[in-house]
Amino acid sequence: MVKKVNNPLKIDFQKCIIEGRLQQILPKHITSEPELINIWTIDINPQDSKYFIAFIRRNIKETDPISLLHLKRIQKNPNDKSLLKLILCSVEYIADREDIIKLLESIEKKTPNGNVEKIQYTNLNKDLKVPKEPPITRELINEWSKKFWPMVWNGNPNDQILNDYIIDMDSIRGKLDIISKQSQSLAKSNEIPVVSLFVNPLDPLNHILSIDQRNSTSGCQLDHSIMNGIKKVAEDEVKRRKLEQEAKESNNYREKTYLCLNFDVYTTHEPCSMCSMALIHSRIKRLIFIKPMEVTGSLRPESGHGYCMHANKNLNSKYEVFQWIGDEYPVGSVENYTCC
Amino acid sequence: MMTLDTPSSSSSSSSSLLISRKDAHIVMGYLHYERMKLAIKLARYALDHNETPVACIFIHEPTNSVIAYGLNATNHSLTGVAHAEFMGIEQIKNLVGPHHLMDFFKDVVLYVTVEPCIMCASALKQLNIKKVVFGCANERFGGNGTVLHINKDKALLNAPSLPKAESASYEAIPGILRKEAIMLLRYFYVRENKSAVTPRNKAERNLDKETFPDLIWSTYIDRETFIQEFGSAQSIHYENNSDLMSFNDDIDWSLIETPWDDIVEDLNEKCQSFNMIQRKKSKLETV
Repeated sequence: MVKKVNNPLKIDFQKCIIEGRLQQILPKHITSEPELINIWTIDINPQDSKYFIAFIRRNIKETDPISLLHLKRIQKNPNDKSLLKLILCSVEYIADREDIIKLLESIEKKTPNGNVEKIQYTNLNKDLKVPKEPPITRELINEWSKKFWPMVWNGNPNDQILNDYIIDMDSIRGKLDIISKQSQSLAKSNEIPVVSLFVNPLDPLNHILSIDQRNSTSGCQLDHSIMNGIKKVAEDEVKRRKLEQEAKESNNYREKTYLCLNFDVYTTHEPCSMCSMALIHSRIKRLIFIKPMEVTGSLRPESGHGYCMHANKNLNSKYEVFQWIGDEYPVGSVENYTCC
Repeated sequence: MMTLDTPSSSSSSSSSLLISRKDAHIVMGYLHYERMKLAIKLARYALDHNETPVACIFIHEPTNSVIAYGLNATNHSLTGVAHAEFMGIEQIKNLVGPHHLMDFFKDVVLYVTVEPCIMCASALKQLNIKKVVFGCANERFGGNGTVLHINKDKALLNAPSLPKAESASYEAIPGILRKEAIMLLRYFYVRENKSAVTPRNKAERNLDKETFPDLIWSTYIDRETFIQEFGSAQSIHYENNSDLMSFNDDIDWSLIETPWDDIVEDLNEKCQSFNMIQRKKSKLETV
């Protein structure tokens, strides 16, 4: 992880554009409407807060599956100014009241006269709802802090995501050049000019190129370039494993390819709902497309029904998506109702 | 061969069959269960062959014939997209040819043990399928209501290959042999999937035979569609988010605890006999 100022890539953090060419594609709604979760809170005496903070640092911070770092852990109890209200952990981490009570019983403190005694607290409950994730603007953090619970501003969390992307611009340009040329040549011969290219991180030099085959003699309505590419990856892997088994003495073993795990995929047109979901099933790492599809596209929030399939929080996995917004790589055109 | 009108057909045709609307619903319900039983047996077969127990059969509605079947093959095929539905689609492609799929699919109803995922729901829509009937919800990936409503979206509204009024949207009816479908998945998930990236947690390895989530009908179909499908006598289940009772008062344990070794052979025979009818028909047409 490099510091923002040392990143050799030029990143527009406002517009989420890398090197003036790669537009990060993100759902819009996650930024303005918080997803709320319940947390356990208790009321404590101000002089005991240091014991609780130490306890949380030791036993909860690292293990709670929900990061609560965007929330202020302690604030004045609005109903009783002599007490503090403290966030213990997420309800997802510990669901049962008995378990929480047992945990709190393990906190001890030394009294001035040297005795060890149990610590006191009141009002244990899980009624408080707070945003699961921090918002991306300072304005929103102020709004949410008033509405739910005081929050800490650590900058737009997406800035860190943008900064952490590993991007090889030359390699990306090379791949886009390949699919762009292929697409144009298909367009000239009146074929559907949708092209995809799959890059296996275990074998990056042997990329797999696939085209739309729905109009070919044996192809059907569903033979989109991405579906064909996914099938080709599997066929190649079956062949490779067979060869590897036959030539046991050879020394070019490599790790097995699992689905399309961590693949980079390049495609000329924004994929439809079938293909964008197929890429979720295939566990790819990143997709870069060139041409948005207003009606059938399933990645941009502005396309189709705004599914943003690659970043849907209801699905168990995600992939990175960028749109190439330069005009260096022209592609053949398709009708706007075509599912790609 | 038995031919039956769907309950939604015009009154003139149902009166010609001399069955009342109420009876028609019972017959339709019976048909749903009989067809889904085949899919459940096939899912059990998949389970016995180390695959996710999700299976489907495709019915040609005008002739009430099984025309294709599918079971999940993601482990064997090394792809994440070899879902049951795609295997059946491939069979139908071989049956009618790749370029007549959409015209054929407008008469096809799919019976699948688990709600189609978003990918499959989209594929079925692009093929212009008539209807989908499923057992249990697909909590993680469901594309017919649970996560997204792909079957009702408007992404294909302007496609010239489709009749405008229909725009490829289809109804997806949940709840047929739902608990049996859930139990098969539970049998599968108590085993460990060694090829998956993340190991499962311990809590998921206990087999629960007692509790089932509610069936929230309104997530999938509106009240009108429910009544059209099952009749108003059943509508209490729509309000109560409960399972239909007429055909499975309790879980049909024998259905899911028997290994159905002959089911593939049985389905192959069914598909072949439809294939022969098709050929005879097309011969007659050319004469």
